[in-house]
This record gives sequence, structure tokens and C-alpha cells, in this order.
Amino acid sequence: MSSMTAKVSRGSHLSRILVIARHTFTQLVRMKVFYFLGVFAVIAIASNFFDLPQHEGPESVGLNVLRSIKSWSLGTMTLFSVVLSIVATALLLPKDVEDRTLYTILAKPVPRIDYLAGKLIGVLLLVFVSLALMDVLMTAVLQIRSTMVLSQQLAMAQAQGWPQEAINSLREETAANGPTWSLQGAVFAVFLRASIMASLALLISTFSTSTLFTTIISFLIYFIGHFQADARDVYLQAGEAGQGAFVRMASLLMSLVLPDFQNFNVIDAVIEGQTMPLLILGKLGLIGLYYALFFTAASWVVFAKKEF
Amino acid sequence: MKVWQRNAVLTVAMLAFGAARMPFEAGLAKELRASGLTPPPMEVATRDKIGQTSSAVALGGLRTLVATFLNLRAFTFFEEKRWDDVADTYDTIVDLAPRTRYYWEAGYSHSAYNAASYYINDSTLPSLRRREAWRAAIYRGRAFLERGIRNNPDDWSLLANLGFLLSDSNKFMAFRDPGKSFTEAADAYKRSANTGNALGYVRRAEFYSLARVRGKEAEALALARSLYTEQRNHVPTLMMLRLVLESHENPALDTTQRAIEIFGTPEKAYEALTGHWQRTREHFPVYGVAAALEALEKLLSVPADKSIFKQPLQSPAGPDDWFTK
Repeated sequence: MSSMTAKVSRGSHLSRILVIARHTFTQLVRMKVFYFLGVFAVIAIASNFFDLPQHEGPESVGLNVLRSIKSWSLGTMTLFSVVLSIVATALLLPKDVEDRTLYTILAKPVPRIDYLAGKLIGVLLLVFVSLALMDVLMTAVLQIRSTMVLSQQLAMAQAQGWPQEAINSLREETAANGPTWSLQGAVFAVFLRASIMASLALLISTFSTSTLFTTIISFLIYFIGHFQADARDVYLQAGEAGQGAFVRMASLLMSLVLPDFQNFNVIDAVIEGQTMPLLILGKLGLIGLYYALFFTAASWVVFAKKEF
Repeated sequence: MKVWQRNAVLTVAMLAFGAARMPFEAGLAKELRASGLTPPPMEVATRDKIGQTSSAVALGGLRTLVATFLNLRAFTFFEEKRWDDVADTYDTIVDLAPRTRYYWEAGYSHSAYNAASYYINDSTLPSLRRREAWRAAIYRGRAFLERGIRNNPDDWSLLANLGFLLSDSNKFMAFRDPGKSFTEAADAYKRSANTGNALGYVRRAEFYSLARVRGKEAEALALARSLYTEQRNHVPTLMMLRLVLESHENPALDTTQRAIEIFGTPEKAYEALTGHWQRTREHFPVYGVAAALEALEKLLSVPADKSIFKQPLQSPAGPDDWFTK
């Protein structure tokens, strides 16, 4: 026991980071953020009832409801994860200053990078757990509904004497709109986007003077980030389009400074029933990691010499 | 390190970080766009139509969610029979979710079927205007569906729907030249079947369209023969059209004997031929049918007053009947 205490107190970077992360996670859980899961459950179940009249053939009956469940669920997950990652991160530093916890921690031999990394990981852990719980709920609702849709379709196909190959094709099409690995990939993409926002909010909060400022600026960057690719295209194609030097410079600056969130819109394609290759998910993961590491390092540069 | 020095380092690092990731992100964006995993950028007109708030939500990575909301709104417009609003809303919806078949099919169906049928019965408009509104609604539905096909060239269902619209006995009169319409329908069905995902009826539907095109009888007969090799295609319409086209190919053919051979007995052949004779709405060919019916009536001793030729033929209802008042 005593050796264990000594190990923690002397501590490696990792153990210190994990202690702070666990504390941050607990701190956020006590803010009752998981109540949101109740709202999500209502949304996931309610999306089952948006069964509008069918315009497709009988073979496609019910597919629209499956799309509706995915669209509502992933939309809610995106909103929740982005809001949570921004607001929770924006709250952390000011709250620690207000509670004077920060002084206690920094008075100990805790490197500031450990403190920042621990805080960020705590927020990300909360976002991850929340998304995982929502994902379980969405997958369960989708599984039940797609089983119902499929049995309805198979009954129709058998009554009409469809050949086996047509039945197999129908089964595949319905399965593509049900719970798939691509859908799990889309949930992970939602998490990656939220991670980038959390690390960005952390950077802003290191020099910001208020929670409100951090929140507003982070949300603005989130929305502008969806235009970043347009700015990059303007810069890359400026020669062909005959753009002036000022426009070219402005678009370059925007492309270099802001994160690009358009690539994460693959989520929409998955909702529409397309498959997301694992390689694409891997590339998105790399981008997410790259942003998170850079923004955390940049936060440390600002935070390292900050006086409290 | 002084504050300004630290900020300068941070700014340079930020720009260097951006420069390092830009080629990777640009390459990924190109790859995603090429594979259809990210939709094209939202049009300015679409942003205007959906308003500031929805636009912000859509730009925030929730395009399909906004499309779902708009679909609910379009349903309200449909219930209120606000056809222009329905069409405008679906134009916006498909800009947001161009890969969702449901939206293309719902939008086309509202125009070409619901709106067009509404104008047939709309008592508030004079007949000439109703006729033009009916035609315009069908054209709008077709244009919308063709846009859907351009966006989703591998979707068998959209192509099959185009074939259905162009060969529908209640719609093809809107396209002025039925022969051209049937040719285009056959082509749409063919492209649908060639995707490899279409249901079995699509190839038969291609044949039914092709059989109605003057000058394409030989091509249609070859298709019928190839379809007939599969048991699941032994359906009455295909069997009858095959007989009719064989009669066209060889005018000396004993159509009566061939009909008995195909349908099994003289009674069944007579029943099938009378049914085909009375199907005037679809514009199916009738080569050799009259002669075969006459011969079968003699063979089966059908009383003169019961002869099929004494029965009134259904007048094919069309715009001339619908828009007289």
C-alpha cells in the first residue's frame, strides 16, 4: 500500500494525467450531464414514428424509418458531443481557478502539460462514454426496427414468389440501412470531431478571460470550420479563377489556421446507407489525433508561463 | 521567453501545422468527393431557401437532419395541396441529401402523380389551364427524377421509376410522341436492369415498352425469346406479346394454332386473346390477334351476339376526355 502511494505521489506523467482525468470525469458527471441520455432515448424512440407515406416500391417499405432513426440519432449525438466538449472544456479552467483547486494542483510538482492533458482526457472520456451509451441505444432501436422491416419485406417477397437472388439483394439493401460497422464508424467520426473541438476550446481557454468568450469563439470556429475547405479550394484554384492576391492570401490564412470539418461529413453518407471504408476512418482518426496533439501542445505553450 | 516571442512562436507553429496538414486534408476531401462520401458544397440558393438557422445547422454537419425536417414540412404542403411549395421543398431536400433515393422518389411522385392527378379534377381552373398544369406537373416530375438519376447513376430503382413514368398509360400522353416515350422507357428499364441490382420485373418491363415501339418489333421479339428461357418470365402479358410479335415477324404464321400451343387449350387461348384485344389503354400491338380471334370463335362456336367484336371497346381515357369540361 505504501509503495503504491509512493508510486502515485512520485508519479509518472501517465499516472498523474490519469488521476486528473478521472477527477475531471467525476466532476463533470456530478454536473448531471447524463440526464441528456433520457432526452436522447425519447428522440431515438420518437424517430420511429416519422413513417410518412411510401412513394417507393413495396420492396423499399420501411427503409425511410431506418434512415430517420439514424438521422435523428446521429444529429443529436453531434449536437450533444460538440456542445458538451466546448462547454465542459470552457468551464474547466475558470472553475478550477474559482474553486482554488488549480492553486492546490499547481503548488504540487505537477507539470502543467499533465494538468492540461488530464483535463482534456477527462472531457473526452465523458464525451466517449456518452456517445457509447447513445450508440448502444441507437443500435438497439435500429436493430429491432430493421428486423421488423426485414420480416415485413420478406413476407411480401415470399407472397410474390421472388427468386432467392432477389430476396438476397433485398436483405442486403435493408441490412445496409440497419446497424452496420459503417454506422459505428460514423459515431466514431462524431467523437473525433468533438475531440478536435475540445482541444481547440482548451487552447482558447488558456488565454481567454471568461467561459462565455471561450464558448462563443469555439462555436464560431466550429461553424467556420465547415467552410474551411471552400477557402482552401479558393486558394488552390485561385490561379485558374483569376483571384486577386488579397483573396488568395485571406483564403490561405483561413485554411492554415482553422480546422477542416467538412471531411467529417461522411456521417451524412453513412446515414444515406453508404459504406465508409476503414481506411477513410483511419485517415479521419489521424487528422483528429493530429489536431488534438497540436492544440494541446499549443495550450501548454500559453499555459506554461501563465501567472495565477 | 517574452510574451511577444511566445506568441510569435505560436503563430509560426500554427501556420506550419496548417501547411503540413493542408495537402493531406485536401487529398482526403478529393477522395471523399470522388467516392460520393461527401456531398457537393451546399448551393447559395439552398442556403437562402432553408433560412439562416437551418443553414447553420446544415453547415454544422447535420445536412441529413435538416433534410428530415424539410421532408416533414413537405408532407404538410402535400396535405394542403401546395404543389409548388412541395416541389421547391424537395429541390432543397435533395441538395442536402442527394444520395437518398427516398427523397428523389417522393419528390417525383408528388409532382408527376399527386399534383398531376389533382389538376385533372381541379374545378377552379378552366380546362385548357388544367391540361397545361397537368402536363407541366408530369414534366416537372420527370425532370426531377432525371436529376436524381444523374446524381445516382447506379440506382436501379430511380431508373425503373423513369421507365414506369414514361410507359404509364395515364402519363405517356403528356409526352406528345408515345413512340419516343416508349423507346425512352425501354432504355431506362434496360439501364436499370444493367445495374445488376434490379428486381426481375424490370427486364420484363423493358420488353413491354420495347414491344410498343413501331420499327423495334424484331429487337423486342429477340428480348422476349431470351426472357422466355426462364420459367419466372412465363407471365400472360409476355406470352401474349411474344405471340403478337411472332405474328408480325411472320405474317403467314397460323396465329390460332400458335396461340393454342402457347396457352394450352382453345378456350384458354381465346380468353387470353380477348383480354389482350380489350387492353386498348396500353397501346400494345395486336398483329394477327383479330384473325386468331375470328378463327377461335368459329372453332369454339361462340354465338354471333357474344363475339368479342360486338363488345364495345374501352375508349382509352386520356387528356381529351379529362379536360373537356
